[in-house]
Amino acid sequence: MKVSLQALARHVELAGVTPERLADILPMLGLEVESIQSFGLSPLPLVVVGEIVSFEKHPKADRLSVCKVDVGDGTPRQIVCGAKNFKAGDRVPVALPGTLMPGGFEIKISKLREVDSMGMMCSAEELGLGKGEDGLLILTPRKPALGTPLNQLYGAPDTVLDISVTPNRGDCLGLRGVARDIAAALSLQLKPLSIKTAAGLASVPSAQDGFKFVRSSSEFCPYYTLRTLRNIKVGPSPEWMRRDLEAAGLRPINNVVDITNWVLLELGQPLHAFDAKQVRVGIEARPAREGEEIVLLDGKKVKLETGICVIADAERPLVVAGVMGGAESGVTSATTDILLESAWFRPGEIRRVARRLGVSTDSSHRFARDVDPAGVELASRLATDLLIEHAGAQVVGPAVAVGQAPRADATIELPAGYVAAKLGTVIAESDITAAFTRLGFTVKPSAHGLLVVVPSFRSDVTRPIDLVEEFVRIYGTDKVPVGRPVAPLPGEEDALSSVFTREVSTRLAGAGFTECCHYSLRDAAELERTLGADKAPALALDNPLTAEQTHLRASLLPGLAGALALNLSVHADPQGLFEVGTVFRPQADGTVREFIAVAFAALAEPVTRSWKSREAFDGLRAKRLLQDVAALAGVSAVRLSFGPATSGLWQTNHAAALADRGRTAEGACGILDLRWTRLIGIKGSVVAGEVIFPRSAFAETRKIPRYEAFSSFPPVTKDVAVIVPVGIAASEVESRVRQGASKAAGKEFVLESVNCFDVFNGVGLPEGCRSLAFEIRWRHAARTLTDEETNQALGVVIASLEKGAGWTVRR
Amino acid sequence: MQQPLVQLVAAATQEASAVSTRAEMEAFKARVVGPNGSLTQVMKGMATLSKEDRPVVGKLINEAKKAVEELLAALQAKIEESEIAGALGAPIDSTLPSPDAPAGSLHPLSRTREKILSTLRKLGFTVAEGPEVETEWHCFDALNTPADHPARDMQDTLYLPKSFRSADAPRKGEEAILLRTHTSSVQVRTMLSRKPPFRIVAPGRCFRRDAVDATHSANFHQVEGLWIDRNVTLADLRGVLDFFVKETFGPEAEIRLRPSFFPFTEPSFEMDLRSPNLGRLSNRWLEIMGCGLVDPKVLELCGLDPNEWSGLAFGLGLERIAMLVHGIDDIRLFYNNDTRFLRQFA
Repeated sequence: MKVSLQALARHVELAGVTPERLADILPMLGLEVESIQSFGLSPLPLVVVGEIVSFEKHPKADRLSVCKVDVGDGTPRQIVCGAKNFKAGDRVPVALPGTLMPGGFEIKISKLREVDSMGMMCSAEELGLGKGEDGLLILTPRKPALGTPLNQLYGAPDTVLDISVTPNRGDCLGLRGVARDIAAALSLQLKPLSIKTAAGLASVPSAQDGFKFVRSSSEFCPYYTLRTLRNIKVGPSPEWMRRDLEAAGLRPINNVVDITNWVLLELGQPLHAFDAKQVRVGIEARPAREGEEIVLLDGKKVKLETGICVIADAERPLVVAGVMGGAESGVTSATTDILLESAWFRPGEIRRVARRLGVSTDSSHRFARDVDPAGVELASRLATDLLIEHAGAQVVGPAVAVGQAPRADATIELPAGYVAAKLGTVIAESDITAAFTRLGFTVKPSAHGLLVVVPSFRSDVTRPIDLVEEFVRIYGTDKVPVGRPVAPLPGEEDALSSVFTREVSTRLAGAGFTECCHYSLRDAAELERTLGADKAPALALDNPLTAEQTHLRASLLPGLAGALALNLSVHADPQGLFEVGTVFRPQADGTVREFIAVAFAALAEPVTRSWKSREAFDGLRAKRLLQDVAALAGVSAVRLSFGPATSGLWQTNHAAALADRGRTAEGACGILDLRWTRLIGIKGSVVAGEVIFPRSAFAETRKIPRYEAFSSFPPVTKDVAVIVPVGIAASEVESRVRQGASKAAGKEFVLESVNCFDVFNGVGLPEGCRSLAFEIRWRHAARTLTDEETNQALGVVIASLEKGAGWTVRR
Repeated sequence: MQQPLVQLVAAATQEASAVSTRAEMEAFKARVVGPNGSLTQVMKGMATLSKEDRPVVGKLINEAKKAVEELLAALQAKIEESEIAGALGAPIDSTLPSPDAPAGSLHPLSRTREKILSTLRKLGFTVAEGPEVETEWHCFDALNTPADHPARDMQDTLYLPKSFRSADAPRKGEEAILLRTHTSSVQVRTMLSRKPPFRIVAPGRCFRRDAVDATHSANFHQVEGLWIDRNVTLADLRGVLDFFVKETFGPEAEIRLRPSFFPFTEPSFEMDLRSPNLGRLSNRWLEIMGCGLVDPKVLELCGLDPNEWSGLAFGLGLERIAMLVHGIDDIRLFYNNDTRFLRQFA
């Protein structure tokens, strides 16, 4: 809402209140000032009216003219000019040498392409009058005297504040509403509105009215008024009105349209004027019928949604109620009689329809914010005054109204002590009464506190708590005391998922990885790579903004791979990168589930050269890291098993998928698909890992570990090497060793560990076989194990292993 | 007697200088102090001496023995030294750089988040979390922002198609599923699932249908606080915010509450911050967060009796705070993941 201070001063006395002071006060009332701009002609004493006596083409420049310009000082002066929109005899503004233009440059006597120029003729824009027509500002129609300082033709410069109005303050979408808040803040009186047109509404049209009926059959239009004005002369509106409209950022059109717009700016009540000749029989606010169409003012033909409120005549819809007028029934230069509409429409419906049509008009914006029903008639009367005065209109009688104002002033019972209790401090009742009175509310004592009557222009104040806000706005938030901290409540803990996020991030950062943060929204190609073309569409958005951000992410790895590539491209060694965040995965039951994902990635070959080489980051270290991450989430290593990874992110045969017997964690680690990582610009291979957990994994509090006693006797270790076909997974062999060793220990002693210490694929083994060697460690709780016992136990292990087809134990 | 002992010690000293391994040392030791060692032989000869000679010779022998023992101890030390040197190899040059990569670092948004959470934890706020994909009811309706309320224009929302079913936020009826525009939805979930009093803080990722530029991002992070108890007041709100701001921006930071509008709080405020320590943004009011008392309508919608319970709420943008604290001027830096940026916060 652009607020001209000159216009504002019609409603509240602003003498002695600087624009800067207003810009300080308004934000503390809840009206944020987005900009302060000057408007109109700033003082330019050396810019005067001149007449172009004659002109000829510049001898050396096709686009320039050499003009003789008379500024009334006796001798016409020569000025070189680039504009084309003038003729001999035109009067234009002339900046004489010495003028400092609003743009900051000084006019000097100069030569333009070798021709003397004694000043400059100006365009509207050069004078800081906004973007007018191209070329010089032609003053001829105003017939100003030669030599008149331009400032005499224009009023004093104005200041325009651009105020951002929150959705609850529809009342401040009119100058009078803003003035009311300023008056309240500064304890000033609001100036009275003087309207000549008499109040009073008729219920049926008279014989002189330009319509035979007016009615409403739409639930969205509970209150509608219409007035006939005849013998109008459509023409330009007066200078002051044009100025006000331009200051508010509106374009003047003609007196009738300008008057409706001016009243809208003044009171916040939108009006609509119909050309009476285009209205057949009468006016009805009614639901749009199936298949109806309308050509809107902006020339667009739209099909009307059935049921929305339209303002129609006996035959066809003329206006989308409260949103936009139709092209056929609008005011034109040929209009002589008009029907002036002032009405109240249901806010929510206006907003819905405007969004549906993809438009936001000054009118819909205000109706959607609940205009003051009491302002409906007032605005119609004010517009009538102006139409009589500035368009020669004749009034045939009172406006005809259907329905009634949907709401009146609100009476709120404010319990004694309520305001103080909400502020947390002592407040004198006189302060409360004073604040409300300044706002234009009426305050009366009641049995239990105060009765506050809030006028209908404040639709947002309906409850005691709303009055607290009103009080604080006027009383000042700086007077609210700073409360003392209160002790924490016992037993309150952070959500476990957030504890995990914190712990795992610290852990990975400690392991040398740098944390990244990528957008959650990704493109279709990435999702197809991650999930496959069949599942990717399950994560598509309904209304993406850009083609790069169409899907929810299913993995953090593409982001990390991209970050590795980016850092390599800018010659920054990325080292290891990680990210913790939410990913989304389609589930077998057709739902999509959120997972907390942890991923890391690093280059297999270090980027930075070093005087001493280090073992590269490989899939096995990634596996260990992944297990550690899972353990932090409460998923112990014994629950995890690994098999080949199959997703499109991973390199076949060089990555492992992780499965959790507890069905909580999912993940994978190894080398990322090489074709992909090469495609995005990474030369070597990328080693990575990712594990995801559903939110439910963090639902239960972690058990507090209980101490278990351990043996003080030494363990016994035995080695066993098994030759198996290469197709047999190491985990299968290990698990068989474990079973055998556990069985051999029986109830007498315990198997402490089974550890794979050698894998051999070389010479001496049968074709297609490999050897895996394990160290088995047993221990007794209460004594040292004997050789006999352990040899016997080893025998049991060997026997059980050799039951495997093609398995032999090396002896 | 004196002469042979002096010769013995001299010979042993001579011989010791040639010893360089542990085996040689053991052999040498046997030759001198072993059962048939040279010194042992002399000591055995003591038995044949007269009573008068014994103290004199005994003293001489003790001196020789001491000399030999010192010799052996020195030898032991020398051998150990050379063994250790052999095991360890060449001495190090401690001025060479470590070839290992340095520790990684947390993202500046994570660091800022943790700092904020630890500040609020001191005031008894504990972390609550909720889904990023939300139902329209949790994100808007329950927060007193029904469909066609103009407050919905304050933010453009990303929606998921009608066919989308979230396992974490099941829809009721025909309501839309969307990407949450604020973490206030976590407040709703908390009020519905827990009994007051409580103080929670909900950090998390939010989404708006915004074009990306230096100050806008398609996703961003919020931290929202909610305190529900009996008789929560504006003074409590100021107390919490004042504490937060002084912890985050230093003791000179000041706040002001500027009346504003949010559908879920009444009264509502924007909290502005002014601090002398913010570089070129020093000493002017900066908008930091929205806050207010929880609107009674929200309490009611979330199943709490507004006559019994009251609350305060506040929400801030993590990016905004991190930008102010670290003097970062472009929000996109947080999401580009150039390590030259990320490592500055190690």
